[in-house]
Amino acid sequence: MRDVVIAGIGSTAFGRHAGTPIEQLAVRAAAEALIDSGLPRERIGAVYLGNFVSGPLNGKEVLAGIVADQLGLPNVPCTKVEGACASGGIAFRHAWLAVASGQCDAALVVGVETMTHAPTAQTTAALNCAMDNTHDGPSGLTFPGLFGLAWRQHAQRHGTTRAQVSAVVRKNKAAGLRNPLAQMGAALTDEQIAASAAICDPLQLYDCCPTSDGAAAVVVVARDCAGGLPRLPVDVLATVQTRGASRIAGHPDLCSFDATVSAARQAYAMAGIAACDVDVVELHDCFSIAEIIDGEDLGLMPRGHGGGWAAEGRTGIGGDVVINPSGGLLAKGHPVGATGVGQLYEVVRQLRGDHPNPVPGAAIGMTHNLGGTGVACTVSVLRRGDA
Amino acid sequence: MSEPVTVALLRCAGCGRLDGAGRTVCAGCLSFALEPVEVSGTGRLATWTTIRRAPSQFRDDAPYEVAVVDLDAGPRVTGRLVPGGALPEVGSAVRARPCDAPYLLFELLPAAPSAATR
Repeated sequence: MRDVVIAGIGSTAFGRHAGTPIEQLAVRAAAEALIDSGLPRERIGAVYLGNFVSGPLNGKEVLAGIVADQLGLPNVPCTKVEGACASGGIAFRHAWLAVASGQCDAALVVGVETMTHAPTAQTTAALNCAMDNTHDGPSGLTFPGLFGLAWRQHAQRHGTTRAQVSAVVRKNKAAGLRNPLAQMGAALTDEQIAASAAICDPLQLYDCCPTSDGAAAVVVVARDCAGGLPRLPVDVLATVQTRGASRIAGHPDLCSFDATVSAARQAYAMAGIAACDVDVVELHDCFSIAEIIDGEDLGLMPRGHGGGWAAEGRTGIGGDVVINPSGGLLAKGHPVGATGVGQLYEVVRQLRGDHPNPVPGAAIGMTHNLGGTGVACTVSVLRRGDA
Repeated sequence: MSEPVTVALLRCAGCGRLDGAGRTVCAGCLSFALEPVEVSGTGRLATWTTIRRAPSQFRDDAPYEVAVVDLDAGPRVTGRLVPGGALPEVGSAVRARPCDAPYLLFELLPAAPSAATR
C-alpha cells in the first residue's frame, strides 16, 4: 500500500441551507477542496460520496456522478456509499483504498446531506431506516432512545451523573460559538441543560444534536504524487472500517460499541501510535452520552472515567486529549452523510494550525464516525505532514 | 400469579444456537434448519428508557418504556415494559406478558427489589 495524504479540504457551514439543492451544497464543498489542493481536475481518478437519506428526503440518488459532472471531472468511477451516520467516513476509507492500492493517484471524497426542509416526521422515519427495523423498530425505539438505554446502563455501572454529562454539552456548545461553520453554539449552564425538555430518559433536549444541512469534501493524493502542491500535506496514518452488532440485542455491552473498540485498536496498530499520542479527536457525539462512551471505547481514558474526565475539563482545550473542538455533532450539527468528512476537515485544519478554535501544537489527530445502532464505524488517524 | 407467557425464538437444528425471530440462516453455523421454539419469558432487565418523543406511528403510545431484557433462556431481546408500572432498577427480574402488538411486552416480577415510583 502507498502512503496517502490529504491535500485539500472544503466545507459549507452546517445548519440550514433552505432552498439550496443537495447537489449544489456538495459541489460547493468539493470545488473548495479541489481549489485548496491545487490539483488539476484531470488528476482526480475516483469520486466517493457519502450520503444517507437523499433518496427519501430529496428524491435524488446517483449523487456522486451528478456532483462529478457539475465539477467537470473526467469520466472516472463515481460511487455513492451509505453507512447511515458513518457514510462520510466510509467514503473516505474507500477513496484511501483506491489511492493506497494504486488504482488511481488522487480521489475526491464528498459527504453531503440536506434534512431541514423535510417535515420532522418524514426526517425521523428516514433516519430510523438506520436501525434494524425487524428486531428493534417495532418496539418504538428511536435513536435518542438507544442512547437513553446506553446512558442508563453507563450510570448504573460507572455512576455517571447528569452534571458530568452536562459538562460535555457545555464544552461542545461553547466550542461551537468559536466555529463559524457550527450550527448551534451556545453558552449554557448546567441549570439550563437540566431544565430542557425530556426526550428519552435520561436524555434531554440539549443532549441531542440538531437536524442539519451541509457538505464537506477532502482530496486524497498518493504521497509520491503530492510534490509541489501548495498546502502542507496531512498524512493519513490509518483509516479503518469495522462492523458491530446490527441490532440492539446483539450488543454484548449496551454502554460500549464493539465496532469502535475494534476500529480504534486496528487504527492505533496501523498508525504505530498509542491512544495517548492523540492530540485532538473529532468523535461521534450524536448525543452527549455518546461522547463519554466513544472516548472510553477509543481508549482515550480508562473505562468508566469518561464522565469524570469531562467534568474535570480533561477533554477540553488544554486538557489531556482535546475532544470535539469543532463543537462536535452537538453544536456543529449532524448533516448525516457529511459528518464523517466534516470531522476530517476539522482535524486537517487543526493540524495545519489554522482552526478557529485551535489546539496548540496538535500533531496527531483522529476522527471517529459511528453509524446506525453501532453497525458501522470508521476511525482515521492523521498526522501533520512536518511532524 | 397469572399464566406464564413464553417468548418465541428460533433454535438451530444444526448447532443448537438460540436466536430471535426474523432470520433465514443460523449466524453460528449457516444452517437453514431453524426451528421455532417457545422459551420461558422470564429474565433480567439490562436497561430501559422512556420514549417521550415517538416516531409518528407510535405517537399515540408515548410516553412508553423500551426495554432490553436478558432472557433466562439466554438470548437478549428488545421489547417494551407494561405501561403505568413502577419504574424499575437495572437488573430487576421481569416476565413476558400477553401482547397483540408486534413487540415483546414485559412487566416487573411482583417480588422486584426497590422499585422507584413514577
